[in-house]
Amino acid sequence: MTITSTEALVESQETIRVNALHALNYCPRLYYLEEVEQLYTQDASVFAGRRLHVELEKDEDGDWQQFVLESEKLGLRGKVDALRTRGGQTIPYEHKRGRCYRDSNNKPQAWESDRIQVLAYALLIEAELGIIVPEGRVRYHADNVLVHVPLDDQGRQDVLNCIDKARQLRMSSERPPVATNERLCGRCSLSPVCLPEETRLAQGTTEQVVRLFPEDDERQVIHVTEAGTRIGKSGDQFKITKRDGQVVTLPSRQVSQLVVHSFAQLSTQAIYFCAEQEVGVHFISGGGRYLGSLDTRQGSIQRRIQQYKALTDSEQCLKLAKQLVECRGQSQRKFLMRGQRNADEHREALEQTIAQMQRTLKGVSTAQSTASLLGLEGNLAALYFGALPHLISDNVALGMKFSGRNRRPPKDRFNALLSFGYSMLLKDVMNAILTVGLEPALGFYHQPRTQAPPLALDLMEIFRVPLVDMPVMASVNRNQWDVDEDFNVQRDQVWLSDAGRRKFISLYERRKEEQWKHPVTQYSLTYRRLIELEVRLLEKEWMGEGGLFAQLVVR
Amino acid sequence: MAESKNYYLICYDIRDPKRWRKAYKLLKGYGESIQFSIFRCRLSQRDREQLRWKLEEVLAEEDSLLIAGLCQRCVQRIEACNRPEAWDVDHNLHQIF
Repeated sequence: MTITSTEALVESQETIRVNALHALNYCPRLYYLEEVEQLYTQDASVFAGRRLHVELEKDEDGDWQQFVLESEKLGLRGKVDALRTRGGQTIPYEHKRGRCYRDSNNKPQAWESDRIQVLAYALLIEAELGIIVPEGRVRYHADNVLVHVPLDDQGRQDVLNCIDKARQLRMSSERPPVATNERLCGRCSLSPVCLPEETRLAQGTTEQVVRLFPEDDERQVIHVTEAGTRIGKSGDQFKITKRDGQVVTLPSRQVSQLVVHSFAQLSTQAIYFCAEQEVGVHFISGGGRYLGSLDTRQGSIQRRIQQYKALTDSEQCLKLAKQLVECRGQSQRKFLMRGQRNADEHREALEQTIAQMQRTLKGVSTAQSTASLLGLEGNLAALYFGALPHLISDNVALGMKFSGRNRRPPKDRFNALLSFGYSMLLKDVMNAILTVGLEPALGFYHQPRTQAPPLALDLMEIFRVPLVDMPVMASVNRNQWDVDEDFNVQRDQVWLSDAGRRKFISLYERRKEEQWKHPVTQYSLTYRRLIELEVRLLEKEWMGEGGLFAQLVVR
Repeated sequence: MAESKNYYLICYDIRDPKRWRKAYKLLKGYGESIQFSIFRCRLSQRDREQLRWKLEEVLAEEDSLLIAGLCQRCVQRIEACNRPEAWDVDHNLHQIF
């Protein structure tokens, strides 16, 4: 405890980066997400700006100086780009890639955020170098305009006010609302994290989502199933050496996850690299059980504190749990209804189950506690798995039939497929939770009992039917499985064999690449993306911007 | 807007072996080399700018660099008028080893 409190003390006195003031003037929420929640995603313009500086540096002959300055008194620190002496006076320059702001007379002006930034540098130089700085200058490269910004009393006051505001915001636990000016969000690097569009939709302030959340993460998921395979790093590449000595290299930017099944070797260098490049690393046992993931969430404790606050409130938990049970139950029911069309013999049995499920689902909204909700969910699951065998067509091999869900270990081939599928899903949900930076161990519905992370188990519920049940059923009905080759049977315990596992991974990954139109936001996303979106929407639930979570019901 | 990805041909002439190695290693992380000094990378705007920035840090004044963006149509035409192996694409978003 002592350590935490001293760290908090140091934090509060830490100076503010001048860049952060720029962010604050762009959008307070951007500042908050970056400085308090410590989320950084650099977008194209950030890198373009850096390149501009590298190029400028090469062009300049000699009089380019960079200063890293910090002033305790002002509470500011920053790196001054360029300091020039003009007519005996020292003037800070700030280079910007974009265009300048034009006032009503079409005269070039600095944007407010740029103005504050260059003035802050000027103040910093005055304070630390003990000289008088009359003005700062901003050069806009897109329209090649140089704007002079005088450091007058008004300017000084504005910077000081801004520093004050930044300090207050840093101490606050309230995330500022999304910007009212929607055009800011289109150019903001954090929009896929902040999800301004979705918030506006949930609050009813917009009808249409422009879609700032990317539809897919096109990077590959790499599964290593063969024991003895070595995964290393070479330059900016992953190097995968198989047991027979064959080497495959992969560009690291094209990899989003490394999934290690059984005992492949992962070099320390590769692990470091994964952490740096935000590549998820997951471990699945040879038996197909999810073991764990590499957790690289640094900082970002603010979001987790909010999560702890929200999810220790039993009312909030119950509300979310109800949405979740409703979502999964409806999906299960809808899946059975889909199967009804082709199941001639079992139509009556299915109809009964479907009606029964509907009645049970009605009870969900009035459930008084998580315990009663668990009971309802149990009933739903029993009904669902009781009826699921009816969806298997008659020409399926006898070994692929099943008569109900069982696990640990699965007793038949169908259950083995489901179990492995749920492990894979758990892995992907964990990946999303870690990417977003939430705490997987604190959920709202599942109780912490085993080492399985409750929040991940909660979120999994939404995707069980579309990502596992449906493709498994379809593949069984298509007779894609070889009863002997794809499974290892030991007395009454069944696991996937190596060949079966490869087949399943392919099946599952392909399913994830399919698109699903989000019923509320009305845009299509791949399932890969939807999992992450869902985690972000969940986080919004307790940040006062909720209303879109757990709406994904199979139609 | 949400990020879309495009193919880029990245060609370079680098006069110094040390810088060449650095640039080569860097580019290997973003895409695949299809011929000497020619890389093919599928990049989002963000990746492209990141790569350009990193390359700029490596390259010197005397080196040359050409980045050519290819639209969907360009890629189709490349595929249409070349040998099949000249533009080999793997559409899989997963790999199993």
